[in-house]
Amino acid sequence: MYGSLDVSTSALVAQRTRMHTVAANMANANSIYDADGNYSPYQRRVAVFAPGDPARGSDAGVHVREILLDDAPFRRVHEPGHPEADEAGYVMYPNVDPMMEQVNALDASRAYEANITAAEATKMMIRTSLKLLA
Amino acid sequence: MPALERMVQFTGERHRLLTHNIANLSTPRFRPHDLNVDEFRASLRDAIGRRRATRRPLDGELTPRDTAGIRFSANGLDTRPRDAGRNILFHDQNNRDLERTMQDLAENTLTHQVSIELLRSEFDILKTAIRERV
Repeated sequence: MYGSLDVSTSALVAQRTRMHTVAANMANANSIYDADGNYSPYQRRVAVFAPGDPARGSDAGVHVREILLDDAPFRRVHEPGHPEADEAGYVMYPNVDPMMEQVNALDASRAYEANITAAEATKMMIRTSLKLLA
Repeated sequence: MPALERMVQFTGERHRLLTHNIANLSTPRFRPHDLNVDEFRASLRDAIGRRRATRRPLDGELTPRDTAGIRFSANGLDTRPRDAGRNILFHDQNNRDLERTMQDLAENTLTHQVSIELLRSEFDILKTAIRERV
């Protein structure tokens, strides 16, 4: 039954990573320069999950398979006076939709809570089983 | 007591599957799996019924028959989980059903606890009999 705790923990780690990507997306919703100061609008990140937990070498659980870069087109904002504006006066902004990120954050938070509940149930079952020995 | 032992084994196995399903709530193309509770219950009921017909109806050996998803061995259960496809597919091809899964988890946990408590009272009766004191 201790294995069930590992399964829930793997999910908590995965959902936290997902929440990190959501937070990074929200934080960079208007970042149009990269860390070196070059004009390169931030590309939205998406955490993709897969079953199994390679860290434990187990088929049970879940892990983040990769952090994908979203290929959706950047937002075009008409700002003719902007130093990065193109000939038509448009500036490219990150392809981050705050509404979408909010929904993802809610989903991740709900899944996190569900896994906490599962871990609590596992703990309760282990505690009850151990009572047989005492 | 053997019936309770089987119940604890079954709920333990099912708990492992349910936590795996909950861990994969956000995994694309994931299909939840579950054990057939009715099948297990019917097999156990049948085994208890057959034991009642013997000369040792209370403490005789309990021999549940294998089902499509459960193989009973002397030390435990060998399970073949089935696809718990009872929900509409989500856009990410995941077949999750969070509310139903959480309900299953709660029911399974309670069943496990009741089985353990009953086992405990059986052990207490045995202990009292061994001590020859009330």
